[in-house]
Amino acid sequence: MQLNLPADSSAENIARLWQAVMPEIVRLGTGDELVLNADNVQTCAGAGEALILDLHRRSAVQGFTIVCRDSRGVVERTLRIFDVKKYLADEAVPTAAAARHTRTADQIGRAVADIYASVCGQMAFLGEMTVSALRLVMQPKRLRLRDTMLHFERAGVDALPITLLIGFLLGVILAFMSATSFRRFGVEVYVADLIAIGLFRELGALITAIILAGRSGSAFAAELGSMKVNEEIDALVTLGLPPVVFLAMPRVIAATLVMPLLTIFTIMAGLLGGVLVMMSLGIPATVYWQHVFKSTPLSNVMLGLFKAAVFGLLIGLVGCAQGLRADRTADAVGRAATAAVVGSLVLITIFDGVFAVMAYILRI
Amino acid sequence: MPDEIVIKVENVSAGYEEPVLENINFSVRRGEIFVILGGSGCGKSTLLKHMVGLTPPLAGEIQLMGDSVNGGNAADRARALRHFGMAYQSGALFGSMTLLENVSLPIESFTALPRPARLLLAAMKLDLVGLKEYASFFPAEISGGMKKRAAIARAMALDPPILFLDEPSAGLDPVTSAGLDRLILRIRDLQGVTVVMVTHELASIFAVADRCVMLDKQSRGMLAVGRPADLRDNPPCAAVRAFFNREGGN
Repeated sequence: MQLNLPADSSAENIARLWQAVMPEIVRLGTGDELVLNADNVQTCAGAGEALILDLHRRSAVQGFTIVCRDSRGVVERTLRIFDVKKYLADEAVPTAAAARHTRTADQIGRAVADIYASVCGQMAFLGEMTVSALRLVMQPKRLRLRDTMLHFERAGVDALPITLLIGFLLGVILAFMSATSFRRFGVEVYVADLIAIGLFRELGALITAIILAGRSGSAFAAELGSMKVNEEIDALVTLGLPPVVFLAMPRVIAATLVMPLLTIFTIMAGLLGGVLVMMSLGIPATVYWQHVFKSTPLSNVMLGLFKAAVFGLLIGLVGCAQGLRADRTADAVGRAATAAVVGSLVLITIFDGVFAVMAYILRI
Repeated sequence: MPDEIVIKVENVSAGYEEPVLENINFSVRRGEIFVILGGSGCGKSTLLKHMVGLTPPLAGEIQLMGDSVNGGNAADRARALRHFGMAYQSGALFGSMTLLENVSLPIESFTALPRPARLLLAAMKLDLVGLKEYASFFPAEISGGMKKRAAIARAMALDPPILFLDEPSAGLDPVTSAGLDRLILRIRDLQGVTVVMVTHELASIFAVADRCVMLDKQSRGMLAVGRPADLRDNPPCAAVRAFFNREGGN
């Protein structure tokens, strides 16, 4: 068999040649001869060198011989730069996915180790936060008030438009949905009760928490993750400033304090959406507000706001923990932000369930 | 064609809104290692960004292999961008990919080579910079010097005739830095590539540079162009003398 390397051994030409000849080359064996004609080669790019190297690698593995016509020294030069012996074994040319093609047992082991490390990391972070919080109670001046206010503004004031919009639409949707069913029984006036109880006890805090987790929890993780990539967190540690106090505490406090306030705005917007729908259905606004006030005992309001504060605390803790635990790569920052949102939502749902059970037991 | 001009910088004003450099003129010949040097903030990296088409210069024209990077039509500019590879100061490797994947990315994107050929070619490029054994490592798992070498392998993946290097020695110890200098020389000798690098490491300049241009922050211009040894022995002004007589120039 004879193989003529093209005068212009560019990637385009070599790609065509490679596809055409390789099916025949792989069938060559001991006793076969391949004449490799490189006499016409004017320019030989990396692709041409790769073909020459691959042929010699296959020759050594499959047992066929190569006779070179190499008046320009192209083949000789390639083999001088690249040692064929290093490429002989198939595994010597690693596949792109080599690092990821691991055995199932290995993957399970790694997953378990990752979960264990994650739980340990979260516990350590929680412990550090608790100790820092206690120290802060003793020495309130240690709190970076300016940073706390900045995060309060970013997580709270800046989130107000989206919170109001979603709260308003939630009220509209709730009112329309329930009014359709209630009308059949002629009790659409009780839609106001449903909206008030739903928003104050459950939905106000829950919806606001979902917004805050998506907006600020992910931002906390991304900010801290980026700071880790830029070695800013290492700089804090070497300056003797604990990152938890310096970075996490202001964010966690801001998230905890801002959540009840945002929840109030969500509830107000929701009630407003509800009253507009009710008025469009012919129920006077005064009747609507009467029902809202009657069906909203203080315990409902307090329960909703307490839940909101706890959700805010969870969002702050998870966001900061994920950010501080992030690896030092760009995609790790993205993963930390995702983990912060997912982790927050899971914890919010679990805690919401716990609160529901507790409220039932305590008859709140 | 050893004297063929492959890079032309003509009357370039470099900067983003206000010029930090004005009226910059120089050319680079095929196979040369050309160093852009100067003090911090003089506009070296800004000029390099103009040369690789990341941002347009405020005035003037830059040509790579006869194709305009900032003037001409879109086709010219697209063709000019295929003439070079660039290795960034930090390496700028993609963290979610192994070294082999990083190097094979441009090969996969711009050639029709079959997968085994792509992987072999990428492995050869890593071999060229001494990193074949680290092909399945992720950037986070290797040292700073190795990242810079891997970045050079990725920049060389499509065998461009021009290679731009932004501060390749920055942050490296002298031994690693000297190793990188040897690698740059080896790549130039093996591949015949033209290298333009930004650096202010004297040892590197004297080890690799055929010629250099020295930029100045105060005058917003070029202080000198020439062989490093000539500039050291016959400095045209006090600033050049001060720079080249710091230390190490031999």
